[in-house]
Amino acid sequence: MTTKRFRFVATMVITLIFLLAWVFPIVWSVLNSLKTDQDVLAYPPKLIFQPTLEAYRDVLFGSGSILPNLISSFVISIGTTVITMLMAVPAAYALARLRFRGKKFAGFYVLATQMLPPVGIIIPYFLILRNIGWIDTYQGIILIYLSFSLPFAIWLLVSYFEDIPFEMEEAAYLDGASRMRTLWRIIIPQVRGGIAVTIVFVFLNAWNEFLFAVVLSGNTVRPVTVAMFNFVSVEQTLWAKLAAVSVLAMLPVVILGIIAQKNIVKGLTVGAVKGGGRR
Amino acid sequence: MKSFRPTRRTFLKTGTAAAALIGFGPTVLRQAAAQEADLAPYKAAKIDWQQASGETVTVAVIPASYFENLITLAPQFKALTGIDVRFEKIPPAQIRQKAVIDLTSKTGTYATHAADPMYYSLYAANKWVEPLDSYLNDKSLTDADWFKFDDIIPAWRAADSVDGKLYGVPYDGEVTIQVYRKDLYDAKGLKPADDLATFVSNAAALNTPNDRVWGTALRGVAGAGQNMYIYPSIFREFGGEWFKGGKLTVNGPEAEQALSWYVDLMRKSAPTAAANWNWPDIADAFSQGTLASYIDAHSSASVINNPEKSKVIGKVGYARWPKGPSGKRVSSIWNWGFPINAAQTEKKKKATWLFIQWAASAETQARTAHRFAGPTKRSGVNRTSIWKDAEYVKLMNGFGDNFVEATMATLQGDTDVDWRPRVPQWPAIGDTMATAIQSALSGQATVKAALDDAQRRVEPMMRG
Repeated sequence: MTTKRFRFVATMVITLIFLLAWVFPIVWSVLNSLKTDQDVLAYPPKLIFQPTLEAYRDVLFGSGSILPNLISSFVISIGTTVITMLMAVPAAYALARLRFRGKKFAGFYVLATQMLPPVGIIIPYFLILRNIGWIDTYQGIILIYLSFSLPFAIWLLVSYFEDIPFEMEEAAYLDGASRMRTLWRIIIPQVRGGIAVTIVFVFLNAWNEFLFAVVLSGNTVRPVTVAMFNFVSVEQTLWAKLAAVSVLAMLPVVILGIIAQKNIVKGLTVGAVKGGGRR
Repeated sequence: MKSFRPTRRTFLKTGTAAAALIGFGPTVLRQAAAQEADLAPYKAAKIDWQQASGETVTVAVIPASYFENLITLAPQFKALTGIDVRFEKIPPAQIRQKAVIDLTSKTGTYATHAADPMYYSLYAANKWVEPLDSYLNDKSLTDADWFKFDDIIPAWRAADSVDGKLYGVPYDGEVTIQVYRKDLYDAKGLKPADDLATFVSNAAALNTPNDRVWGTALRGVAGAGQNMYIYPSIFREFGGEWFKGGKLTVNGPEAEQALSWYVDLMRKSAPTAAANWNWPDIADAFSQGTLASYIDAHSSASVINNPEKSKVIGKVGYARWPKGPSGKRVSSIWNWGFPINAAQTEKKKKATWLFIQWAASAETQARTAHRFAGPTKRSGVNRTSIWKDAEYVKLMNGFGDNFVEATMATLQGDTDVDWRPRVPQWPAIGDTMATAIQSALSGQATVKAALDDAQRRVEPMMRG
């Protein structure tokens, strides 16, 4: 009994330490975003202070408003996610189930595109987009994002599709369902968890992307990750505003995470245990 | 003596008065003014400002108040020339990368950009940007008597030239100077240091971490424009030469002495965290009253005098760099200049030059500085004549004791164009040196080991 209790307490303490380390930067950002610039710099750091929404008002409605950037980020992330999923689900299903010539090669090819270091391909991407006049456009950035989100999504989904017993498809087939109907009605409901996980990760990657965005965007399409860097000016860092933008940029991801949390946890464990065994 | 120093109040008042004087105050007036009357000073130039009308130029700048002020005036430029100018703000860490990608791929995306003076060697070696002498000397493009190119701070012009050829026109710049707490110095009977040894002893005398006051801080964080911005000044003050017999040498005896001085000063009299500080961190700490002195850009004066943040307004004094053992004072100098991207049509290049000429002209410099309507006044104007303008000097002296004198003396006497190795390989060399300096500052490596390692790394760069 005592060992059990000790174990419980030890686990809790360790968990708490990790949790504190992880949660500290977020709490700190939230606190700073509610402070004036003077309070941000105060020492000892103020935990009790007169909160103000001034930083939020400035970054949302001031002269350097980031609202257009948040919209850019949404359009890019949602666009990337939707197109990725529309293409990745059938592709992953095909790789998991169908037998066709060059399947192995196709699978490797998809994976290989993930092996290139992004910095190495940024100039070719820039040139291609420049030549077709897609620099600083939504279609241009989404196209580039697809190049890494699509392989990632396909490979994540393949493992989920492989976990579904063949028998289910056979049953549907015997009942006279076409392949598309089977996929739509039988298979997809089974991998709902996996699809939710994939959506969250694809959205997250697109939302947080910085390297490509900073090179390929301009004045028209400028995601929030790039825009927030402008609060670190050469003259000074505007801590309160930077914190406010960070919190605003975190919000959609956190909300999406909470909504999908149940599916993510389930999806991750399912993939981890069964996926490894079958291959 | 004391009553002679203008207070912050007079400083603000002057600014407001200056704004009111030229009727820039209300927005309505400003817009109306942007059209006709305001252009007269430009039209005094004997050139056809409209010769590239209809063109569009895209200009990459960094987010900074001195460029914000310029962006505000863009409608005036359009009215004057018929050229559309689009500004794109890019963070300082990325603007070099983006500019180099644009230049290497010859896409001509940015007609001009705020350029790092250390990059001109690279730009020129690849012919990515135009030599500007032909633009300066072309009477149809430049009215020499009006533009008065020689009025632009010589040190910055030299920094934007390679082998005597001009590649960029300085728009805004800075020099590093000593900044100190006059009240703390006075209380201990100290004077701003005249040599590096005194700077160390001053810092030690005022270093009282228990009272949360440290003696000093210099930029410690790794970066070609961070610790490798300050270290070269020390290196040159110790008599260091970057090239010995044509070979880049970074681990000579002067280098060892210089880096040891830097490391000792930071260990003994600076906050431990300063090994990771950049200039905004230093200015923030100073404005909170936790530093007795620092050596950094004169332009940081606006941060330590920001009434919304600073607790040290009215207590600040300025002085030139302390002299090194070689007897020299060597300030770190910086300017953001505008080059002309070579990958453009001739007409676009002309449009770009007209933009550069407009932005660097005495008139626009004044309109973005003491005559600017908004709250921030530039401290980095590019014209010697403006630094002698009574109105501007009065405004600048609001930053504290001896500000204009220290800045001007430094600009005229303490600059050294070869204070950093000006070679096309600079970006890689700068990064390598920065890493070495930080490893010595943080105690990960001894001074000698750090410099020897840097030497091993830079040698192949110079061969390649």
